[in-house]
Order: sequence, then structure tokens, then C-alpha cells
Amino acid sequence: MDAALLEQMLLGALLALSVYLPLRCGQLSLATPGFYAVGGYVAALLSTGVPAFAGTGATSPLPALLVEMALGGSLAGLIALAIGRPVLRLRGIYLAIATIALVEILRVLNLNLPFTGGAMGIFGIPQPFAHPEGYVLFTLVLLAVACWLCQRLEVLRLGRAMLAIRDDELAAASVGIDTPRTKLIAFVASAVLAGVTGALAAHFLNAWNARVGSFDASITTLAFVVFGGSRFWLGPVLGGLALTALPELLRPVGDLRLILFGGVILLGPLFFPQGLVTAERLRWLGALLGRGRGRRKPLAP
Amino acid sequence: MIFGRLQRVGTGLLTLTLLLAGCGSDAGNQPIDLSGGVPVGAVLALTGNANVYGQDQKTGLELALKQRNGSGGINGRPLKLALEDSGSDEPGANAAFTLQINRGVLALVGPTLSQQAFSADPIAQRRGVPVVAPSNTATGIPEIGFFISRVSAQSSVIAPLAIDRALKLQPGLKRAAVFYAQDDAYSTAETTIFQKALKEKGLDPVTVQRTQLNDQDFQNQISAALREKPDLIVLSLQAVDGGNLIRQLRELGYKGLIVAGNGMNTPNIYPICQKYCDGLLIAQAYSPELDTPANGAFLKAFKATSGGATPPQLTAQAYTALQVIGEALERLDRRQPLSAATLTAARKELMAEILSGTYQTPLGEIRFTPTGEVIQSQFFVAQVRMDPGGRSGRFALLQ
Amino acid sequence: MDLLQILVNGLSVGAVYGLFALGYTLVFSVLGVINFAHGAVFTVGAYFTYLLIGGAVGANGLLAGLALPFALPIWGALPLAGLGAALVALLVERVAFRPLRRRRADPLLALITSLGAGVILVNLIQLLVGAESYAIPTGALGGLPASFPLLGARVRTVQALLLGIALLLVAMLTLWLEGSRNGKGLQAVAEDAETAQLLGIDSTAMVRLAFGLSGFLAGVAGGLVGLSVSIAGPYFGIGYGLKGLAVLVLGGLGSVPGAVLGGLIVGLAEAFVPADWSGWKDAVSYGFLFLVLLLRPRGLLGRPLPTKV
Repeated sequence: MDAALLEQMLLGALLALSVYLPLRCGQLSLATPGFYAVGGYVAALLSTGVPAFAGTGATSPLPALLVEMALGGSLAGLIALAIGRPVLRLRGIYLAIATIALVEILRVLNLNLPFTGGAMGIFGIPQPFAHPEGYVLFTLVLLAVACWLCQRLEVLRLGRAMLAIRDDELAAASVGIDTPRTKLIAFVASAVLAGVTGALAAHFLNAWNARVGSFDASITTLAFVVFGGSRFWLGPVLGGLALTALPELLRPVGDLRLILFGGVILLGPLFFPQGLVTAERLRWLGALLGRGRGRRKPLAP
Repeated sequence: MIFGRLQRVGTGLLTLTLLLAGCGSDAGNQPIDLSGGVPVGAVLALTGNANVYGQDQKTGLELALKQRNGSGGINGRPLKLALEDSGSDEPGANAAFTLQINRGVLALVGPTLSQQAFSADPIAQRRGVPVVAPSNTATGIPEIGFFISRVSAQSSVIAPLAIDRALKLQPGLKRAAVFYAQDDAYSTAETTIFQKALKEKGLDPVTVQRTQLNDQDFQNQISAALREKPDLIVLSLQAVDGGNLIRQLRELGYKGLIVAGNGMNTPNIYPICQKYCDGLLIAQAYSPELDTPANGAFLKAFKATSGGATPPQLTAQAYTALQVIGEALERLDRRQPLSAATLTAARKELMAEILSGTYQTPLGEIRFTPTGEVIQSQFFVAQVRMDPGGRSGRFALLQ
Repeated sequence: MDLLQILVNGLSVGAVYGLFALGYTLVFSVLGVINFAHGAVFTVGAYFTYLLIGGAVGANGLLAGLALPFALPIWGALPLAGLGAALVALLVERVAFRPLRRRRADPLLALITSLGAGVILVNLIQLLVGAESYAIPTGALGGLPASFPLLGARVRTVQALLLGIALLLVAMLTLWLEGSRNGKGLQAVAEDAETAQLLGIDSTAMVRLAFGLSGFLAGVAGGLVGLSVSIAGPYFGIGYGLKGLAVLVLGGLGSVPGAVLGGLIVGLAEAFVPADWSGWKDAVSYGFLFLVLLLRPRGLLGRPLPTKV
């Protein structure tokens, strides 16, 4: 497989996790592409405008990338923190539409601000890695960390509170869970992850403009999660990987490519209403692996 | 515990992808795969919101390919063109570029949009693959690197020419109004040049109206502009939004001159502004009325396949891009046979060959600067003349 | 300051937004979900109108050169195109909504399945008739002038027509909803599907009716916009999809008069953005939407929020 495509897929998986986090406590937020755009602009502006970030030789310094990711994630997180409380009082489709509006407002801002390069955006973004393989390794580490954090949520009090809100918000509040705070944490975490991903993606894509954060992207990232399954983090990761790769893998069919892609998006939820990854399938898979392990180590207690 | 196992499943999957990642390899010092012809690639926006441009460009490439292979290909070996869709966005363009480069193409035509070029061209530059851009007009494209060139001239020369022409037609012009789509890279680049040209002629714009590429209704901007009583309106817009704006301008009673840039140099505007297109002045990087053998052959081929009378500028430029690559390949192959060269070396030699040539194209005679910027010998200003029914018309060249 | 001109501009743009959002709102009222294929159905309606008035397909696409053997006047073509679009909307309901309903799946899934249906429709259009733009000839309105003066403002005839037809359709729709058996049935299902079922109303039939109506309205709106500004390729309706969402929420999800009122307000709000700030126009409508959501989430004319959404 081609490393550049793999990198796209990994970025897709990270964005899917960003949509998954609020959804884990029942909040349908489609703001991910907006925060992704913000993170990307931070990285693009710093690495093209500040000499220390741009580096001197063919590649820009790796620590600079880490700082950009931290700053991009922080800015996205701050925006989420500022608007989170009022917005998260909305539910269901109302929250979805409010976050779509947010993405559009951010897009118009990015297009009109004096320093974001207008329609052309920012280009000539320096490269921290000489090859796509470098990006892939780096992103894999990032994705692994993100997955590990999501995995930790399963056992942490916070994670259980999130699930309780998803199942029944009123009941969760009545057993003493601070529901507004929990929802806000999920929303901010989602924004930080999207911002960090954007900062990395801006380098990988060489250029950044206001079109990256659009309505289409909102729906596509939601499709990642719906497709993969929203109960467990592996679902969005798989959904993000698969749906990013699909249009590329469908290239041999030529003109029918996007028609088939639409067909997959249409049929996927019909055949897998819970997404690809469900608790049952995971248990089955887990048991299968467990048995395999058991055979190899028959003496294990 | 169940989640412990899940974690292992996850880790397993990540390791798997990691292993897959290691499989990407570069063509390096391989020979060129000449089975089936001399491989070149194109990446166009065939789907997504720029699909109209991609479709026009595809026609141009197909005509150029037919022309080249009809006259002996590359010294007897056919030219083999692989076309990929960029889906009008940057990730799509990057994926298509990478795919084509991995396939072992010698050169690339594309991508359609300037924003995509800023994203995808650096990939070709890093991997040493010549790119001839057929339609990118933003500032800074050839400067991406040695391997990046374009046949699409910026409006720097054409725009002042069109303003001159308007002044010649109506010497008393005083109040110019400017429109451009602020979310379109081409529009924003061209309007800067138009506005500068206007200022140099002492025609400071009385109003500058910003629109969006996907806008269809311009009554607000038009009302605001008409309040300033302009006698010249200058548009940097694409065919669809520009066509709609012209129609609405005329319907709302504007009678003065309208000058439009390159983006509207296509018969695609006919169905949109219809009878109202009549009289429009267009700054052209390509004139269908240019009387040269190269353009004659192109026109003949175009009419035979599409039934249309006038090819759009985008089609002519795409044709030119592939023609340039074809001629350069032929010269290179004569100098040092492609069958004996390695891919990496041939790509580098080809770029030098592309830059050093002079080409007789439908656009007129063109050359390149050492950075890969096109030097076009002729630019044109045309006036649209619509047929009485308002269905079709022609771009009458103003001499 | 030509206040009247701004009003006229805003209302005529708003009428299109309103017509578009009507279709959204009809489906939302019975199913509680948004049909993301609506923009594509709108586009289909515009292409149908073009073909019915005798337009020929261009040189690209599988149907290159195709033209119907007859040509209808615009007032005949529009309702027929509406019917065609209604059939397409019914098909969308059949493949993207009904299977989910039957399985009582999460309504969220319908966002994705309808998006899939929209992607298929848009790309199918491109495959069949190419990506070029088509236009309904300016002469389609017969001898009417292109624009007329109104108290010092200038109004494009097409836009006045659009506004008129939009208001007419809304009036007819409201009368029908209030006065007919099916209209009342539709309202009952919108109110509470289960109770309606107990009262003997076939909710599946009502859902189909809502889709058919929404498709018809979208088809007519597509044709009218095509007449006003040309059909700018297969992605033509998608831009309205997003604006329609803003209108839908502003007016109140599920409210028929709300959709129209919301459309007119968004149209007017955009028209009142000073020309020098036109780059911020979209931010105005979405900022507006954002505020309304925070201050009055049910929208201007919406019912109080149900707790289940």
C-alpha cells in the first residue's frame, strides 16, 4: 500500500475519533472540520511566518511541529471551551446544526481575516519529514496515543459518566453526574484532537485554505463514525480508515467511482445499523484471539 | 477482561498498518515501462465543484493525444495517457499525483485548480516529476520548483490590454466598478491585476464588489454597484457566476461596457447570459480566431469530435500542455533513447527539454522562462457577438 | 439608501430559500430527520424542467445530444418536472429511509443514507448529461420584459414570478394541510406517529406523501431557479442544502409557515449586509442561526422542543 494514502487514512481515523468523543456522551457535534481548519492555520502560519518554525534545510524541525500541534490543539480547545456551555445545551439535530453553523462561521472568518491568505490560503508549508513514511510513523504514534486515551475512558469515571449521559441524560444527572461539565470535556477534547490533526495535516498537504473546513467535511467525518460504529473507539478508527481509502480504491471503475462510493455510504448503515464494530463482534473477535493465544500457551493459568 | 483483549486487537491492527506502511517504495533507478506506449499522466477535477473545468480539459487532452499518436507518437512509439480524477479537492489531487508518479509516468498535466497545485505540485517536485499545469493562474506556481511549469499565462499582460481596448471603444470612461469572487483563487489573483491596470489608466474603481464562487443571485451587489453609476464594469469571475452576473446586470438595466477576464473565455457562458453576453469584452489567453496552422488543426479536430463551434480556453490550454510534453519527449528520445534511460534521469532530462523548447501551439508561439513560467507571444481581446436567437455566438477578435 | 431595492432583493432570494426549506421541513415533521438528498432532488427538478421545455443534452455524458421529441411551455414543464422530482424523492425514501424505519434504527443513520443517495444522484446526473451548465432560455417567459420598475426599485420579472409562485405554493400547502383528510393525517403523524397509527392513519403512506410533496416542491423550485439563474452543473442544488438548514432551524423545524418566514428573513438579512462587507454575508446568516439556536432553539414558529429528539 502507498504510504501517502495510508497517511490520509490515518488522518481520517483521527478525525473520526474527534467526532466519536462527543458522540460517546450522546452529543452529535459536527464541528470537527472547523477545529481541524483552525489547527491547520496555526501550523501553516507559524511554519511559513516564523523562521524558528520553518527550519533552514530541506526539512523543518520536528520540535517545531510538536509546538504547532500543541498550539493548534490549544486554540481549537479554547474556542470549544468558550462556546461549549451554551451550545451543548442543545440536543440531537439542533446541536448538529449549531455546530455546522459554527464550521461555516469559522470558514468565512478564515476566508476574510487579513492574515490567512484569502481564497489562495497559505502555501509552501515546510516539511518535517522527507517522505510520507515519516508522516505515517508519526501519525501512527499519535493515533495510538489517541486510541489509548479512548481506551482509558472505558475504565475511568469520566468515561463511564459519558456513557451514562449517552444512555439517559436525566438519569445520569440524578445520580450526581455533572452532565454539563462532562459534555464540555468531551467537546473540548474533540476540538483539541481535531486541532492537533489539522496542524499535522497542514504540513502533509503542503498548503492550507478555507475550503478544508466545510459542510461536506462535517458530514463525511460523521459518516466515518456511523459506518464504523460509535460504541467503541475501534469503530470510528476503522470507519475513518476505510471510508478515506474507499474513493481511492475505487479508482479502477473510472466514472462510476463516486456512484459506487455513494452506494456504499447508502447501504452500509442499512446492513450494519450499529456500524462495523459492535460489542458483539468485538467479543467474538476477542474470544477468537483469546483462544488462539490459549493454544500457543497451553500452560497459562 | 474483555477490554484488555480489545486493546490487543487494536494494537494488532495498528501493527498491521505499520507493516503495510513499510511497503511503499520509489521507482528509483528502474527503467521506463514502455509497454503500451510512453507513459504520461494527467490529474483533472472530473468530479466535485470544478468538474466543468475538468471536463473541458479532458476534451483538450484527448484531442492532443489523438493528434500526437495520429502523427507517429513519440518517434514511432505511441504516447500513453493515464487520466485520474482529483475530485476538486487537495487530498484528492495529492492522492492522484502520488498514484500517477508511482505508476512511473514521465510527466504530469494538472491539477485543475491553483489551490490543488499548491498542495500536489510539491509532491511532484520532491520526487522529480515534470508538471505542466494547463490552468493554474495563481502567483507562485512555477516558483514551487524546477519541475513545475505552466502554459496558462497570468493575466498581467492581458488585463491591461483589455482595459486599453475598452478605452479605445469608449474614450470617455470614468467610473469603473469591479467584481470578483473572493473565495476563488483565480478571481482574486486576476482582480488585483485588473485593479492595478485601472489605476494606471486613471480609472480608480468607484466600487469593488466581492461575490462567492457559488453565488447565483447578485442583485445586492449589482444594486450597490449601480448606485455608483458606473460606465465600465470589470469582472474577474468564472463562466457560471460571471454569466449569471452579466445577465442580471443587463436585466437590471446596466447599459455600459463590461470587460471580463480569462475565466469567462469559454462558450460555456452562452447558455448562461444568452443574448446578454453580446458586446462583452474578453481578455483572452487563447483566441479561437487566431489564424495559424497549429490553431487550425486544433479547431478542426475540436469541431469534428464535439460539434461545438468554439473551443473553450481551458480546452486549448490542456491541448497545449500535452502537446508541449509530446514534443519535448520526441526531442529527448531522439537525443537519448527512452528505452535505455532510467526513469529518474529521464524525468529530469525531460523537464530541461520542456523548458528549452519553443512550441507552435493553438495559443500561438510559446516558450518558458527557466523557472517554468510561460512566455506567450500573443494575447487577445475579443468581443462576444451573439446570434439573433441568443443561443450561440462567437468571440470576435478585436485587431 | 434604496431601502425598497434591498427589500425586493432580499425577498426574492428569500423565496428560493423558503421553497427549498419547505421540503426539508415536511420530511422533518414526519420523520424527525433531515434529508440530505433534498439538494440533489432539487437539482433533478431543474434538469427535468430543462428537458421538458425542449432543451437538448450537450456533448458530454452518456445521453449526449438527447432531446425530448416535444417542447412544453414553461408553465406546463414546471409542474411535470415537479412530479418527476417527486418520483425521485419517493425513490430516495424507498431506498434510504424506509429500510431504516422498518428496522427501527437510529434516525441519525438516515443522515448518512440520504447523503449516500444524494451522492449517487449528483454523480448519476454527471454521468448522464455531463458537467456543463444548462439554461432555460430567457425567452421562456414569453413577451414579458426582463425587469420592471417598482416605486423606484427595479425588479427582475423572474424573481417576482419566483416570489409569487413560492407564496402561492405555500398558501395551497397550508390550505391542504388544514382542510383535507390527508393533510390532517400528515399533521397527526407529525404530532405523534403512534397515536396517529391508533387512530387508523397509515403512517407509512403519510411519510411517502411527505416525501412526494417535498420532492414536488423541490422540483418546481429547481426549475424556477434554473429559469432565474441557469443550471450550474450537477452540484447546483447542493449550495442550497446548507442555506436551507439555516432557514429550517430559524423558522422552526417542522413548521411550514416557519420555513417560508425563515427563508424570507435569511434572504433579507443577507440583503442588508452592506456591499463592502459582502464577504461576510454567509457569516451573517449562520451567525443569526447560531444566535437563534442559543436563544430560542425551537425557532420562530416551531413547536416547543420534544424531549425525545
